[in-house]
Amino acid sequence: MARQIVIGLEVHLQLLTKTKLFCSCSAEYIGHTPNSNVCPICLAVPGTLPLLNDGAVALASRLGLGLHCTIQNYSTFGRKNYFYADLAKAYQITQYELPVATKGYLDIELGGASKRVRIHHLHLEEDAGKLVHPTADGRLTGAAYSLVDYNRGGVPLSEVVSEPDMSSPAEAKEYVMRLRQLARYLDVSDGEMESGSLRVDANISLTNADGTLGTRVEIKNMNSLKALERALEYEISRQNKVLDSGGRIVQETRLWDDAEGVTRSMRNKETASDYRYYPEMDLAPIVISDSEIEGYRQSMPELPQEKRLRFAQSFGLSGEEIAILTEQKALADYYEATVSAGAPTARAANWIRMEVLRVLNELGQDISEFRVKPDALAGLVKKIEQGDISSTIGKDLLDLMAREDLTLDEAVKRLGAPQGRLSGDALRELASRIVSSQPDVAETIKNGLDKKGGKIKFLQGLVMKEARGQADPNEVAGCLSELLGS
Amino acid sequence: MELYELSAKETADGIRSKKFSAIEVTEACLARADKFEGNVNAIITLTADAALASAREIDARIARGESVGPLAGVPYFAKDNFCTKGTRTTCSSKILENWLPTYNASAINYMNDAGAVMMGKTNLDEFAMGSSTENSIIGPTKNPRDLGRVPGGSSGGSAASVAAGYAPIALGTDTGGSVRQPACFCGVQGMKPSYGQVSRYGILAYASSLDQVSPLARTVEDLAISMEVLARPDPHDTTCDAYDRPRFTEAIELPDLKGKKIGVFEGFESSQMDAELYGALQKTAGHCRDAGAVVEPMDLPIAVKYGVATYYVTALADASSKLACYDGMRYGSHLDGQTLNEMYVNTRTACFGEEVRRRIILGTCLLTEGFYQNYYGPALKVRQRMVDEFDELFGRFDAYILPTSPSLPYRIGMKETDPNRLYLGDIFTVPISLAGLPGINLSMGLNADGLPLSVQLVGQRYFDAELLGIASVLERVMGKPRVATPGVVEKTQKGEEAK
Repeated sequence: MARQIVIGLEVHLQLLTKTKLFCSCSAEYIGHTPNSNVCPICLAVPGTLPLLNDGAVALASRLGLGLHCTIQNYSTFGRKNYFYADLAKAYQITQYELPVATKGYLDIELGGASKRVRIHHLHLEEDAGKLVHPTADGRLTGAAYSLVDYNRGGVPLSEVVSEPDMSSPAEAKEYVMRLRQLARYLDVSDGEMESGSLRVDANISLTNADGTLGTRVEIKNMNSLKALERALEYEISRQNKVLDSGGRIVQETRLWDDAEGVTRSMRNKETASDYRYYPEMDLAPIVISDSEIEGYRQSMPELPQEKRLRFAQSFGLSGEEIAILTEQKALADYYEATVSAGAPTARAANWIRMEVLRVLNELGQDISEFRVKPDALAGLVKKIEQGDISSTIGKDLLDLMAREDLTLDEAVKRLGAPQGRLSGDALRELASRIVSSQPDVAETIKNGLDKKGGKIKFLQGLVMKEARGQADPNEVAGCLSELLGS
Repeated sequence: MELYELSAKETADGIRSKKFSAIEVTEACLARADKFEGNVNAIITLTADAALASAREIDARIARGESVGPLAGVPYFAKDNFCTKGTRTTCSSKILENWLPTYNASAINYMNDAGAVMMGKTNLDEFAMGSSTENSIIGPTKNPRDLGRVPGGSSGGSAASVAAGYAPIALGTDTGGSVRQPACFCGVQGMKPSYGQVSRYGILAYASSLDQVSPLARTVEDLAISMEVLARPDPHDTTCDAYDRPRFTEAIELPDLKGKKIGVFEGFESSQMDAELYGALQKTAGHCRDAGAVVEPMDLPIAVKYGVATYYVTALADASSKLACYDGMRYGSHLDGQTLNEMYVNTRTACFGEEVRRRIILGTCLLTEGFYQNYYGPALKVRQRMVDEFDELFGRFDAYILPTSPSLPYRIGMKETDPNRLYLGDIFTVPISLAGLPGINLSMGLNADGLPLSVQLVGQRYFDAELLGIASVLERVMGKPRVATPGVVEKTQKGEEAK
């Protein structure tokens, strides 16, 4: 029997507070002069004491509620002791015994099936500083010296610890995507793996022959979702090989090497018991009243899962469409506003999914920067729906509106499309001209040899092109069959 | 009476009413220090120029008719573990030999804002770890009442400064008795407030859950004035209570002890302690009765049996963590090495003294897997049991009296070799610290050999003002300690011995 894969994840999310967790320094560290956002507290100058940032507690509570956790009225901090140059106090203040939120879940969907991943707890902790090694590849090996940047030291993190409920790398990836989406919906974290505001440590083991849990291995250093998936896949095959050859899995921490595509044992890694966790006495406990928790609950926006359900019920969209439209809250809002402005639900969904996202991608823009506002898109989609313009022209118009910041009317003028659509005598006249210009094709059709209808379609296309899309395709078809007696 | 003999209250009143100037007082105290410091060795850094400048400023403000604070022109010393901006703060350790803080401890700001004149930084056991002020980079401080004896510790320099008349007030920190015990040994008044009464911001911590800024003085009134200056909410310290404190100076106007119930501690064998100190305790019980209090014996079985062990497990564990930041990388002394780890080891081995290293190593062990479950975890539970034991007693008593120290000040160098015996000297002070209670060392004068006798008063948590009131009633009977003349052992005449 194949061994079952057992995966649990620890995800660190950098919280979107203005200031650090225990001092009033700015929490921004990317692109800042090293050691410019520091103060006596985050540099651990003797005699200083930590002061808790209430904003971080509020964000962690929101995330906890989003994960259906119980928010604790009383939680405490502890110290995780270890010496390293990036840790000024030589201990990290973290929540250990009593975390701020416990026991929740996050539902993930894979291949149409839904799965519930239980959340063990969520806690607050401070980030460490950053080491800079002056070598060509930026690694420690071979560096004559190392520099420390404490700008990141003390930045608030929320660590979300799952139960070992995932059974494939794809599920793990989906879990991280859903957690990231939730954090973004709640404005709790921007969740960027590349920049490190979302970091994933994975615990993975394979079950023994009797179904009991095997020895777990922790893997770190995955800087993208792809890396997470690859690292887990590598680790599954490595563990299978070790077990197949009669070996034993060692409980250890391994680092993912993305360039080589392998995990490597981190030697000299301290085991958990050596961190000498114990209570932090310099900080009063976190006390959150029931009314505060209720306040957080009241201020919660619609969660991604709720939104997906509602989109299915209200707009009759497919699962794939919903997934794309609701991935970002801003895009979902854009869709809803487009529909509110009168665009038909299906066509609006299709246009946003296919065209708006294409243009955004080409322009390297975010939906919040998109110049075509929902009512303008609704106007365009309505014209297409009514047959006033063709989809092809519509795409050109959308491009113009987005790139040059034009209204729909301005774009139509710029494109040179006729004002208003062609119909009636004008359209019959145009169709007649097109038929005369294509005598061979007309003859073929008249002789009933256009079995598959390809020739008549060809003529329809020429008429529509000449009309710059401003004609009803059905009427065009009618005119042509009238002329050709088909 | 000489200016250096005045209390802080008398000094401030005299300066405010222009009987004498702040500069005269500061000069008198500096001269006093100049005369005896060669023998006493209480001061690590004397800031004479800054002190004279502050005194001149106070005089100028009074001359301009501006209002000045309650301690205007009153000289004070601070233990060298209070951060003082621009003035080196060593903690008596080689690791901070030349460290210049960039900020003031909150307590220092409060004192300066009240008009007090900072005179300098006093000696202590390295990182406040010790009870004799012998473990120091500048060598031992000597007891001004008998230069052959220790002044107690760890705030020995502060206690000696007040006893020798360098200043009417000094600040210390009390973690397990570090102000009460040296006050006892040097024959002055010293008060450890309830935990949370005074901000710890800017104190070079030893044990976060125990440290309290604590004043030393020669009168209970000066303790009350100091408390009024020091005890207040501080946004820099979340463990400092956020409410307004009562008026400590009003509390000391208590006329007598009528309606008070005082417990006299009897839960030890008198053979375990000095007979004279035991006698002092009984004498104090009599004074309480005479002042109208109901006095009954009481016992603290858990605190006496487990207090010292619980204290050392708690404090050492905390110290191992709090002192880990001294890695030589950002401030303080630094020794080089081939690797990061070597730098840490070289720096910390060479720059921490033996007692500090011993406590860091013990504390580190106590927190490792297995030891934590057997020592630190149980210590937290016992600590709670001790709090409960005190709480239960406070249902019956307003305050207790017990010894501060089981022994009179011992000779320099005598106990250093046996740390276990040294630790047991803390038996009566550490339970009070563990329970977060206020405690006052109340001086009772000198014995026939000129050595100070005293008693410890302990109150209910947050009832610091009430405790000062009781102390002030007793002080009226027992008298205020006089300034010592270092090098001269005061032989008390018969009939003049301790009251």
